[in-house]
Amino acid sequence: MWVPVAGLPPRLTLSALTGACRLCILGSGAARRKDVLARDRRGLSDFHPQLLPSLSFGDSPSWVTKCRLEPRRYITSPRLAETLVQVLRGGREKTCQLFLECNPGPGILTQALLENGARVIALESDRTFIPHLESLGKNLNGKLEVVHLKPPIMVSKMLFQNLGIQALPWSKGIPLKVIGIFPIKNERKTLWKLLHDLYSCTSIYRYGRVELNMFISEKQYQKLMANPKNPNLYQALSVLWQVACEIKLLHMEPWSSFDIYTQNGQLEKPKRRESLEELQQNLCLIQLTPRRTLFTENLTPINYDVFFHMLKQCFMKRNAKLIDHLHSLSPVDAMDILKKIKKKEKTKITNLYPRDFKQLFETIECSKDYTCKWLYDDFLEDRIV
Amino acid sequence: MSALRWGRGAAGLGRALWPAGHPGLLAEEGALGGVWGRRRSSSASPCEQDRGKDWGHAELLEVLEARVRQLQAECVSEVTVKRVDVARLPEAGGFQPPRKAQPGATGAAPGLSGRWAEKLDKEKWTMQKRRQRLEAKLEEQARKLAREQQLRVEPRLLNGQLAKSLQRWEQGGPRSPWEEPLAQLLQEAPRRLGCEAEQAPADRVAGARLESQRQRLLAFLECCLFTGHLPLAHHVLVVQHSRSRQQRLLTLAMYNTVMLGWARKGCFKELVYVFFMVKDAGLAPDLLSYAAALQCMGRLDQDAGTIQRCLEQMAQDGLQLQELFVGSPLCKEDQGVLLRAVRKARPGFSPPPRPKPPPPVSSSPLLREIYAKDRPVSYPRLHLPQKKLEGLFQQQLRVEMATTVTVESVEKAPRLTPEVLRARKTLKGLRARWEAALCRALQETKASEAQAARDGRPTLLPYLCLLGEREFARLLLQTLQALPPQGESLLWLAQQLGLRAFNRHIVQRKLLSNQVRELEKRYSQYLHLLASDAQVAEPCLPRQHWEALGAPEAPHEQPWPLPVLVQLGKQLAELLVGAVRMPSSLAAPQGPPKLIPVLYHVYSFRSFRQIGILKPHPAFTQLLAAAAERTLTFEAAEVPMLCPPLPWTSPHSGAFLLSPTKLMRSVEGTMQHQRLLERCPPAELHGALDALTQLGNCAWRVNGRVLDLVLELFTAKGCPRLGVPAPPSEAPRAPWGRLPPDTPPARKAELRRELARCLKVAREMQSLRADALYRLSLAQHLRHRVFWLPHNMDFRGRTYPCPPHFNHLGSDLARALLEFAQGRPLGPHGLDWLKIHLVNLTGLKKRESLRARLAFADEVMEDILDSADRPMTGRKWWMEADEPWQALACCMEIARASRSPDPAAHVSHFPVHQDGSCNGLQHYAALGRDSVGAASVNLVPSDLPQDVYSGVAAQVEVFRRQDAEQGVRVAQVLEGFISRKVVKQTVMTVVYGVTRYGGRLQIEKRLRELSDFPQEFVWEASHYLVRQVFLSLQEMFSGTRAIQRWLTESARLIAHTGSAVEWVTPLGIPIIQPYHHDSKILINGGLQSLTFSSSGDTSQKPNTLKQKNGFPPNFIHSLDSSHMMLTALHCYRKGLTFVSVHDCFWTHAADVAVMNQVPPAPRPRRESGRPLARALPTWDLSLAIVRHALLGGGAAGGDPPDLGAQPLPPLPPPALAPAADAPSPGVPRAVRPSAQPAHPARPVQVPGEAVLLRPQVPESLQERLGLPAAGHAAVGAQDRALQPGAGEALHLLLQLTPGVPAAR
Repeated sequence: MWVPVAGLPPRLTLSALTGACRLCILGSGAARRKDVLARDRRGLSDFHPQLLPSLSFGDSPSWVTKCRLEPRRYITSPRLAETLVQVLRGGREKTCQLFLECNPGPGILTQALLENGARVIALESDRTFIPHLESLGKNLNGKLEVVHLKPPIMVSKMLFQNLGIQALPWSKGIPLKVIGIFPIKNERKTLWKLLHDLYSCTSIYRYGRVELNMFISEKQYQKLMANPKNPNLYQALSVLWQVACEIKLLHMEPWSSFDIYTQNGQLEKPKRRESLEELQQNLCLIQLTPRRTLFTENLTPINYDVFFHMLKQCFMKRNAKLIDHLHSLSPVDAMDILKKIKKKEKTKITNLYPRDFKQLFETIECSKDYTCKWLYDDFLEDRIV
Repeated sequence: MSALRWGRGAAGLGRALWPAGHPGLLAEEGALGGVWGRRRSSSASPCEQDRGKDWGHAELLEVLEARVRQLQAECVSEVTVKRVDVARLPEAGGFQPPRKAQPGATGAAPGLSGRWAEKLDKEKWTMQKRRQRLEAKLEEQARKLAREQQLRVEPRLLNGQLAKSLQRWEQGGPRSPWEEPLAQLLQEAPRRLGCEAEQAPADRVAGARLESQRQRLLAFLECCLFTGHLPLAHHVLVVQHSRSRQQRLLTLAMYNTVMLGWARKGCFKELVYVFFMVKDAGLAPDLLSYAAALQCMGRLDQDAGTIQRCLEQMAQDGLQLQELFVGSPLCKEDQGVLLRAVRKARPGFSPPPRPKPPPPVSSSPLLREIYAKDRPVSYPRLHLPQKKLEGLFQQQLRVEMATTVTVESVEKAPRLTPEVLRARKTLKGLRARWEAALCRALQETKASEAQAARDGRPTLLPYLCLLGEREFARLLLQTLQALPPQGESLLWLAQQLGLRAFNRHIVQRKLLSNQVRELEKRYSQYLHLLASDAQVAEPCLPRQHWEALGAPEAPHEQPWPLPVLVQLGKQLAELLVGAVRMPSSLAAPQGPPKLIPVLYHVYSFRSFRQIGILKPHPAFTQLLAAAAERTLTFEAAEVPMLCPPLPWTSPHSGAFLLSPTKLMRSVEGTMQHQRLLERCPPAELHGALDALTQLGNCAWRVNGRVLDLVLELFTAKGCPRLGVPAPPSEAPRAPWGRLPPDTPPARKAELRRELARCLKVAREMQSLRADALYRLSLAQHLRHRVFWLPHNMDFRGRTYPCPPHFNHLGSDLARALLEFAQGRPLGPHGLDWLKIHLVNLTGLKKRESLRARLAFADEVMEDILDSADRPMTGRKWWMEADEPWQALACCMEIARASRSPDPAAHVSHFPVHQDGSCNGLQHYAALGRDSVGAASVNLVPSDLPQDVYSGVAAQVEVFRRQDAEQGVRVAQVLEGFISRKVVKQTVMTVVYGVTRYGGRLQIEKRLRELSDFPQEFVWEASHYLVRQVFLSLQEMFSGTRAIQRWLTESARLIAHTGSAVEWVTPLGIPIIQPYHHDSKILINGGLQSLTFSSSGDTSQKPNTLKQKNGFPPNFIHSLDSSHMMLTALHCYRKGLTFVSVHDCFWTHAADVAVMNQVPPAPRPRRESGRPLARALPTWDLSLAIVRHALLGGGAAGGDPPDLGAQPLPPLPPPALAPAADAPSPGVPRAVRPSAQPAHPARPVQVPGEAVLLRPQVPESLQERLGLPAAGHAAVGAQDRALQPGAGEALHLLLQLTPGVPAAR
């Protein structure tokens, strides 16, 4: 009777970005499984994107076709491409930069970037575009590298190795810039996925503070930027991103400037009403630069998931008081914590700013006199700090 | 009544008169008001509004008044008196005009005059008036409250006419003859009959919700009856009845339930009220309603006339008096009273004699031989005498009455250091405190639930009253004890708690209803059949004997509906969370200890859902670990039985003595299997009942020597290679010290991964360890005893032992711990069989003949003896075997036997196994007539046993070589890596519908295990290999895939028509696939809302995908289990000890040869490890099943899927599909008589008509279904000619297009 609620973790789309990321993670020999309960199988499936069971997806035709059918947005207007190049270069002249472009499609932006002297790696999963992209790179001394991502693909560790990308320490600069468009349907999932990568320093973030320049829907952008001033949009995702990254809005562009292609490079006309509605919206190009100061003594890739859990749980009952949540988060005395972070007893979850959450987490994490600081964590018992 | 009113009025008024902010009085008020609970606040609210404005005046007024009096009378005491008077005044005076109350006051103050006095007077008057109004209001409310307070007895009828007549009779006074209205009532025809039926719920969802509400209400009423809350049940019924909107919730069963309750109490008035309600609801009283009425009359000793009228009315309604005594589920006592009443009216009446059950003959032709009376039988007996068995029965009875068993753990005892002792003491103290706290909390909950029930809602109150508070508390503490450190999902806990409460309730109920003594008597008589020293007149099966000993048991208790179960469990879990607390610091209690909860309710996030988890406080886990207590507590039904189980006689009765057990286990809340079994004619189930009884009747004992060795390893460091899990201390530790402060995050991420890996391993080890701990502790507990493993089956008919932790179905280790309690001399060939068995266990010599195996065993005799003598110190030959522990046990047995002076006389307890070779494929090969395939799974006689896995591996190798020659890279890489082991799992599971996806995963796993395989090729190679395996199978078993596809397609079509796929196995077990779309049940409130979805809800549409994919494997499983049961029954007839692990059959070494001859069927004599006999019945079974498959089996009562109602999407409408035309299974044409001997020399000579499957399918359909073109058409035609009827069956089965000629 206890039928799987969700079955396997929802798979991510096949966009080059997520594809690469997933494989990275897998390459990294991932991760901890949540075997909290032997009864997991009864249907309490786990969502931890980095935990996809294996490289097996290539074998599942039904899934592939489903994903393949999903239309994808591409930049097709040279004007837009030109603007973007200006924005991305940020006024600096002729600094050679490395861009990783995900699903460039017809390659309009790629061309613009190349013309401005940037080095570009184009990851494309759609075979149709490959020949054209490759033709762009002729006579450019290898400034453009085109990689066709197809399942089964190599692990991204190998991909990066092949491309000769070196990891930079976290405290140093930005090793590369990723540019792309979030998948239409799975923005939220992709954002969560990236968060996991970021906080655990895996996937692309293994190479340092990779800067993302991504198009995202305006709605989602507003959610990302939300704080107690607009509590309705405020959510765990906002807190986690704002804590992790500096978020800058670079450019806004109406939806209509993009073309939608289905698989095989077919131009798709917006037929459905919903997509028409979406057309009214803007896409925002945002820059997500991981903070140098993200990791501290108390918030590390080792315990980030406790932080994640704390936020998820807090925002589940967002209008409840912080103190009520503390009781089911940690055995540490709730009043003590409140005193330490200088919050009142009546403080609600939605009154806390992202930095407050980080402070709260670190306060609990470094509280003395408690052998066990969190109720959630299931590998606490093995932790020796 | 009036006193009450006075009290309340006074109190209410007093409160109103007192100024605001008078805490003392208010507190008192609270105490008083507690009686009428929630109402208080509403009644108080108007006063409170006014209070600020008016009560200042009132106070002044009163002071003045008092002062005047004081001046006049100079008497202090009078003040109080007067004050009381004032308070009481309006109450006593009722509606007296305000002026009348005044004179005393005005008269008392004559000296006052002028405007001030006038004003005072006026104010006083207003005041008085106000007071009066208020008083009236209060009184009205008080009266209302009193009404609320009392449980309602009189119904409020919606039908005006009925209501009037009710009123008339009520006014007739309490002495009026209540039977009068009843009789008249009965005569009135039901007016709104069937109006409920008309308003069929518009949509399915609403219908399902209504149904679940009904279930809950009915269960509530029934439970009330049991716990003595009958007035409450009546009250709730009346309240629900009076709300016209909710009336459609009520069913006749609910009214009947309450009526029965009143009848048992002999309360006629209330019974009549219910009758009024039944009429008012427009329902027609049925047999049970009349039974209740008559019973009540019987108890009250009514005169004959009334009873006579009642009986006449019954006859008019078309209900037979006789049926009251036959069909109704009344207990004996009720029936006695009923009979007394009836006899009064009809003195000569005698209840019809309980009809002797017709000679129990199962219609299954396969079973004819089993139940044949004319042939000699030699049923086995146990080796124990009657006295001893009776003693064992008493032991088991005690265990089950206690509901739990405490078993000593085999974990090494800790040194009793002061810390350990202190921890134990603390724990003991805490437990005592918790028990008290839980009892208190339970009482409070009961009070609040009672309050809620008064509002007319079905609440948990009666359920909470079923068991004593202490018992609940103990149950909860037991759960707390067993909670793992990482917590447990609330939903699961709730369900477990609910189930356990239910089981305890059933046991208690049986104890209370005096069934135990009856059981004792009957059981002792039953033992005459089994005991070694007793006699019975006529040899018969245990079930037959049990049935002959008396009437069937009292009707079983229906399980509670799932929502009720979970709700109760959740309530209990919440009690546990709320009540159980411990001091924040256990070590040094300074000052008053601060209490913190022991259990926390936390969330875990899975996907985008969150799951509530109850988690013990880490300090509590530490405390438990520190105390290292050495006892484990099991439920009584989790432990093997100490006496032979009760024989299965119905879908509900059998196995454990008191604990309820289902014949067909299913996920909680799935009802369709039970319903199907209940509808099935009892005789049809005999095959299954007898087979299960027989499997359960095998007596077991623990193999002490093996247990000793295992325990030695277990308490030391374990030995994962041999399946003995290591203790947690052996878990890998992450290499982790204090990190230098400048560790880069990437390094930390790596550490985290390492940590996670260690944690994972540790968790796995922990769960394996716990599992082994349970098993070994139970084995130790049962070491010197004889015990039994009662069996039941899953929904496909596969059999399983009921006790979950310790049984013969487990791993190698688990199996090696068990041996037959009953010994048998080895006989002339026993030792040889032991040796062959040993070689089989080693996994060597898979493709050798029995003779070769025997020779091999003799060759390694020295190793065998060495293993037996010095298992841990010698050459350890046994450790290399596939099944090391069983091999070791076998070595020991061989050593003992061969060293005894006369091996043939050596009494052996050792079970020898005969394993099937890929049974699934055998069935398919038989169904599909694959000659090559049949040969490879040993269906065809051959000198050497075949091994299908090697065969497939060889075939794959052929393909690989071809590809390699053509330059396929992966094929070249794979050279030398294709082995039996790589393909085995995939081949085995293909039958059960494994897809390429899953198959690839399996192969990938195998390839990863190969250390020298280049790992970077794993993905590609597994992908390649799975394709080749499927291809090879296709080549070898050409029919298999086709049949699988055909079955899948049929299931898809059936599911499309909106029915679940049903069939009846050849032994008559009705089977239905419980896969439907999920229905969600929500339980609100409390800690968290629980949502759970159930796929077994038959009101939902079937889940086509699951129905379709599940059908082929389920079907094959059902075939396989039928085969096993049949073998079991034949073996029993021959007096053999027989048990099975699905397709692996166990018996004594001396009897292996006999078992291999069973069931007697045409079978070439051969000496192979895989007796051909094992496969043969499937040829016969095939058609019998296939015929019923997809038709739902008319005989078993399951409605055939309504294929006729709606054209199947891809097929033209069937020409005919009425269920009535379906061939009855009673007609024995399905089974080919054993006249046609299988020819040893020729390849498969298929006698069964199953083969007709293919010839019968028209070309067009064949194409669509992908069946290979009919190569056997000629054979089919022949068979058809030979066997009239078979074609017809198949025609029905296939639902062919109209153009296909139906064979006659």
